[in-house]
Amino acid sequence: MNIPLRKKLEESSESCGVPCEMIIHFIEAEWISPIDREHRMLDDEDEARVKLIWELREDFGVNDEAMPIILHLLDQLNFFHWKIKQSIL
Amino acid sequence: MNDPYKMLGVSSSATLDEIKKAYRKLAKSLHPDLNPGNKESEKKFKEVSHAFDLIGTAEARAKFDRGETDDQQRQKYEEHSQRQKQNSFYDSQQSYGRYSSSFGEGFDGEELFSSIFGGGRRRGSSQMKTAGADELYQLEVEFREAALGAEKIITLPNGKKLQVKIPAGVEDGKKLRFKGLGGSGHGNGPAGDAYVQIHIKRLEGFTRKGVDIETEVAVSIFEAITGGEIEVPTIDGVVMMKIPSGVCTGTKLRIKGKGMGQGDSRGNQIVKLKIVLPKNIDPDLAESIKNLQHKFDYNPRNV
Repeated sequence: MNIPLRKKLEESSESCGVPCEMIIHFIEAEWISPIDREHRMLDDEDEARVKLIWELREDFGVNDEAMPIILHLLDQLNFFHWKIKQSIL
Repeated sequence: MNDPYKMLGVSSSATLDEIKKAYRKLAKSLHPDLNPGNKESEKKFKEVSHAFDLIGTAEARAKFDRGETDDQQRQKYEEHSQRQKQNSFYDSQQSYGRYSSSFGEGFDGEELFSSIFGGGRRRGSSQMKTAGADELYQLEVEFREAALGAEKIITLPNGKKLQVKIPAGVEDGKKLRFKGLGGSGHGNGPAGDAYVQIHIKRLEGFTRKGVDIETEVAVSIFEAITGGEIEVPTIDGVVMMKIPSGVCTGTKLRIKGKGMGQGDSRGNQIVKLKIVLPKNIDPDLAESIKNLQHKFDYNPRNV
């Protein structure tokens, strides 16, 4: 079984190009659920979500009120997409 | 390197606000999370993002306009390219990622998907392993079968025959479970269970009272007064029952072991007596009773 690579907040911040304090804000807003919440360590999935949130904020001007709605819809979309792919394979 | 102004579709004299608006417009249509699986739009999105990095802020734009391609900028470009090589969020969720799967918790997607795709849906993924649905069938049994137990064979809609052993004394509405005989599972998932619900038919004159069976039996005034032996129907057939003298309508007598169930746990039959007069009272009978009344009259409301 592959254990996802976990990175410290600072490493993820560097890798995603997103300031640490913003990632902390994302975690506190519960937009990110780090793979290791206690030690604030992120895996690839968390990092990809951090980048997405950052782009939605910085590039698309999505505010904090709209963010959870968009993330929820994207999670739904991804879930259905995955389900459909599984069902037709 | 492509001209970032051209890339974003703005003139070189555009304001920062115009550049940002143009970038947002393009990014909205090209973002990989909004175009899952579209490699072309993903590539364009990377180019547009890089173009915005080059002219999106006053400082970066000034450097670019001055023709500076210093080490810092090159490094920034490389970092940017490196970052873009990482998976998009959409990609990260395509193996049932934590975020999208948390949406699926408690969500009966299977039911929805069955209704969308019907029976024609192809299967084959081990990850789609789901248990088959439980199926419920109704079975009507005779009162006597429910009381003493029986075995019945029913044919399921799929043609399979099911041997149903009805336990003696079964309750009305009881569901008997047949493990693994329900709907087939998906993708090697286990089959569901079949349930057979028992419905007990009424039997005229017999009323179930828990494990006992209550019946009502008519007696004549003579039998009521003098006692005797009468025939009583039971679920095992007719039996003879002794009646003591002086019974009334409503008197209850017990026949041991003629109720519901089997063996030692079998209930009793409770026989409720009902004094019935002859349909037509013969004048001689009326006369005789009148004579007896003179001799033996009593107040039944004060006994």
